[in-house]
Parts: sequence; C-alpha cells; structure tokens
Amino acid sequence: MPNQHLARGILLAAIALAFGLGALRYNMGSLVHAGPGLFPLLLSGLLLVLALITIVQSRFLEAEPLDFNLKNIALIMLALGGFVIISEYVAMIFGIAFLVFVASLAGSSHSWKRSLQVTVALIVVAFIFQKFLGLHLRLI
Amino acid sequence: MEMLQNLAFGFEHALTIQNLAYCALGCVVGTVIGLLPGLGPLATISLLLPLTYSIPTDSALIMLAGIYYGAQYGDSVSAITMKIPHASSIVACIDGYQMTLKGKTGLALFTAGVSSFIGGTVAIVVLASLAPTLGQVGLLFGPADYCALMLLGFMCVSIVTTGSLVSGLAMCLIGVLLGQIGTDVETGVQRFTFNIHALIDGVSLVSVALGCFGIAEIAKNLDAREERTPFNGKIHLMPTWGEFKRIIPSALRGSAVGSLLGILPGGGPTIAQFAAYAVDKKVSKYRDEIGSGCIEGVAGQAAADEAAARTSFIPLMSLGIPENAVMALMMAAFIIKGVQPGPNMLSKHPDLFWGLVASMWIGNCFLLILNVPLVRFWLSVFKIPYNVLFPSILFFCCIGTYSVNNNLDDVIVTAAFGCLGYMFMRLSMDPAPLMLGFILGPMLEEYFRRAMILSRGSFEVFVTRPISATLIALMVLLVAGQLFFTVRGIRAGRRSDLEPAQPV
Repeated sequence: MPNQHLARGILLAAIALAFGLGALRYNMGSLVHAGPGLFPLLLSGLLLVLALITIVQSRFLEAEPLDFNLKNIALIMLALGGFVIISEYVAMIFGIAFLVFVASLAGSSHSWKRSLQVTVALIVVAFIFQKFLGLHLRLI
Repeated sequence: MEMLQNLAFGFEHALTIQNLAYCALGCVVGTVIGLLPGLGPLATISLLLPLTYSIPTDSALIMLAGIYYGAQYGDSVSAITMKIPHASSIVACIDGYQMTLKGKTGLALFTAGVSSFIGGTVAIVVLASLAPTLGQVGLLFGPADYCALMLLGFMCVSIVTTGSLVSGLAMCLIGVLLGQIGTDVETGVQRFTFNIHALIDGVSLVSVALGCFGIAEIAKNLDAREERTPFNGKIHLMPTWGEFKRIIPSALRGSAVGSLLGILPGGGPTIAQFAAYAVDKKVSKYRDEIGSGCIEGVAGQAAADEAAARTSFIPLMSLGIPENAVMALMMAAFIIKGVQPGPNMLSKHPDLFWGLVASMWIGNCFLLILNVPLVRFWLSVFKIPYNVLFPSILFFCCIGTYSVNNNLDDVIVTAAFGCLGYMFMRLSMDPAPLMLGFILGPMLEEYFRRAMILSRGSFEVFVTRPISATLIALMVLLVAGQLFFTVRGIRAGRRSDLEPAQPV
C-alpha cells in the first residue's frame, strides 16, 4: 500500500507543476503591470514549496495506508456520465432513470422495484421544478 | 437607541409574508439537511443557489442564511439521539449522547434547543451593534491590507479545519489556482481552458461545491457501508425548574465564547463549540459531571455553535471578506444577487442588511418550535434508507449544476470535481479550504494587482502599511507556532519509538 502522506505530497507537486508550467505559456508582464501568467506562476511556486515540505515531512511521520474503493466512485461517475449523454441525445427522463439504476448498484442492497419507485418520484419532482420554478429542463 | 431603531426597520422588512415564508422554508430545509448524513450546509446552499435566481434578493438571502444556521440546530439533534457527528456537532456527541444513554434524551434536546436560542439571540445583538462599527474600519482597508487579510484568513482556516498549516494552505492554493481557470478579467487572455468551451467562463462555483462536497461525500458514505438504526426511544421534553436554572449560565458563557470566535478569521461554529466546552469544563459549578452526560456539557456548546454561526456574518458584511467556506458561499450568493458585501453594503442596502439580521431572530423562533416540540417528527426522517437517499442527492446535484447555465457540460465538470474531491478525501485533504480559496481567488488576484500598481511593483507596501503589517506579523506568529509544534511532535514521536527498545 502506498503511503498516504507521500501520495499527498506527490499529488500536490503534480498540481503545482501542471499549473506552473501552464502559466509559463502566458505573458508575465512585470510586477507593476502583471500579465496573465504572473499570479498563477507565483501561486504554483508556493504550492510546489508546500508539496516539497509535505514530501519531506512524510519521511518523519508514521505511514498511513491509502485505501481506495474504486467500485463505488466508478459507478457514480458512470451514472453521471450516462445521465449527460442520454439527456443530450435522447431525453432527460431516460437520463434520470439511467442515473438512478446505475447509482443504486453502488448501494448496500439494490432492488429493481425500489429503483423504479425512486425514478418515478424524481421524474415527478423534475416536472414540478420545470413547471413551478421555471427551470429549463428538456425532460422529454 | 439607534440599534433598536435599525432593528425595528429590519423587522419591517423581514416580517412580510413572503420573507417569513422563505425564512421558514430555509429553517426547515436547514434542519433536515442538518439531520441527514452526507449533505452539509455547503452542498445544500450551492444546490439551492441556482434555484434562487427567480426569487427576490432579500428573500433568497434570508432563506440561504436560514439553511446555514438551521443546519446547526439539526446537527445537534442527530448527534444527541444517534451519535452521528457532523462537522459542526462533534462535541454534542459527547455529553448529549451520554444523556440519551441515561434516558434523558428529552432533556438534552430541550437544553440544546433553548441554549441555541439563547446563543442566537446574543449573537444577533452582537451582530447588530458591531457590524456597522466594523464597517467603518473596513473603509480604511487598502488593496494590500485586503491581500494580507485574505492570506491570514487562509492560514487560520487551514489550521482550524485540517490542523496542519501545510496541507490546509495547499488546499487553499489549489482553490485559488482553480479559480484562475477561465478568462483573465484584466487582459482577456484565456487561462488553462484548453480550448474547452465550458471552461471559458471559468469553473462554476456550484460545480466545485457539489463535486467536492456532494458527490465525493456520497462515495465516501457508500464506502463506509453503515446502516443506521433510527432512534425509537421515549422523549420527555419538559425539564424541572432546577434543571432549567442550570441551562442559563452555561448557555450565556457559550454565547459569549461563540460570538467572539465567530468573528475571528478562520472561526466559526466548529471551533467555537470546542472552546465553549473547554470553558465549561474549567469554570462550571458542575464541571466534574461534564463528560458523563450533564446539562452544562450540552448547553454551552450548543449556544456557542449557534452564536458563532451568526457572528460569522460580521466579517462578511462589514469587511467583505468571508472567514470560512460557508461564508464564502454566502458571499457568492450575495454577488449573484447583485449585492457586493463589504463596508458599503450598510449604506447602499440598509433594508437588506437589517432585514437579514432581523430575519435571523425570527428564524431563531422558528427553529425553537421546529426543534423542541416537533423534534419527534424530524426523527422520522431517518427512516428513509440511504439507498433511496443517495440517488436522489445525485439527481439534485445534476439538476443544480445544469440549471446554472442550462448546460449539460457543467454536469461533466461537476462529475470531474466529484472524482477529484473523492481523491482528496481519501488522502485526508479537507476540501473546505479549497472552497474558500476558490471563491476568494479572483478577488485576491485583483487586490494583489492593484496593490502592486499602487506601490510601483514593490512588496514593501505589505509591511509599511500598519494594517497589513499587523496582519503579516500575525501570520509569522502562526507559522512559527506551527513549526514549533511540528518539530516537538516529531521529537516526541522519536522518543516514544526509542523507549521500547531500552531494556527494562
């Protein structure tokens, strides 16, 4: 298992480098007339320092294991992605059904009947939102 | 006297039927989400932000504020009856749950409700008297001072929420960097957009909040796989006179502590309740009983919790700088509604300011009714299984992000932040500072640029202006303190490693 502290430092460093190297592509300007790249570069520099501190610190702190449960987060991402694609190309009510049925697989127990009930209830809520709150939902 | 006049003026605005209805709605929603696991005030306020577009400004703000302080009440109910800790009710789990084990649930709930009411009332007096004065101070702040204040706020929030300056500050910086995505206001250059259409206007606040707090939290709860049994015990609410008398002093102490800590940068309900509990443990007449389920252990922290939730509006409304993540979100709500919080808010929108303050007291009354006589009704909320709840929350997250721009691409951005938020959570990185950084980021950049223009590119301005010099000195103290504790912690850790190696 990778060490949590070290992983944190590496993630921070990666974010700092991504933004810092990206910022180099923009005009820096000077301190008096800052260009678009200056502020992000300063920030990512600071973040990189913090990342290095975290990495150094991880050598002194007790290692904590990193545990990931990929299944649940993957199912949720799949549900959301499917919702977007189906709503875009078919209709939002089918998107809602997909969202509920796929997300329910991540629950501790799942039954088709209950998912169907939740789907119907949420579609009713969506229609209420559309009618009374004036949201522009393309439900059908 | 002037304060009374102002408050009367505020009540005139808050007591319209429409505003009363929105205040009640906010309190009800707040209580429910306070009770439910997996949906905090941050996620709920951002969820409801797009829905408030069609509501008048004062009603919308009154409702959102109601959600925030209502959630504090709801939190303590679930903490007392079922020991479910939310971020802001960890302390209520100690004595409150002990009282439930002793069969005194009703008394604990009554104590928490009444103390919260007292705390809220005291805080409103503080708010009404202090905010205008502090607003005058706010006018003295220059760009450099604002920069220093925001940085100090970042540091305080980092220490308070994560306990570690480095990881909290890193999260703040990530937030500020995420705020850089989009079109640069001053030069019109697109930064970090990768030519993706959805990113030209920047990442929407709702996406970040719902991703990091809504979706990530759901994934975390699903990983934990805990099924909670609803509370079925008896609730006897009315206390005896002797018990009632014990509530008052402790609640007043808590109110004072909470009001004070609510104002400080980085402060807020979470730290206030710990402080109030500690104070009660030191000075209460019944201090020996605290920890084993006594009134003082519940009253003080509940009052502090509620008081701090309200006084944290002071820095926002007088200086225009939010001091914690929820307040940052409130600031975003103000701005969406076309109101710039800050020193000028009181003179430009007095009706809004005093109306909001007055509505807080009205909300206080609503919450007292909702949470003391009607508490049994709320406990039935727990009978909804999480397997029904979480697909619904996901649905609301989708609808919430979609309705900001009526754009499905935003839902993808939200999902991406959900993934990122889950990763942060698994690495024990608290997303609250990220939220604060994200909202304050654009402001920080603007003030930084202005300060640099005024000082002709010299950093000296930060130490020559008295206000910012003081703030910088405070920051140095914080860093030094943190360094001291870290080094001591490492040394202590080494010593304990060495000890078992020595022969006995």
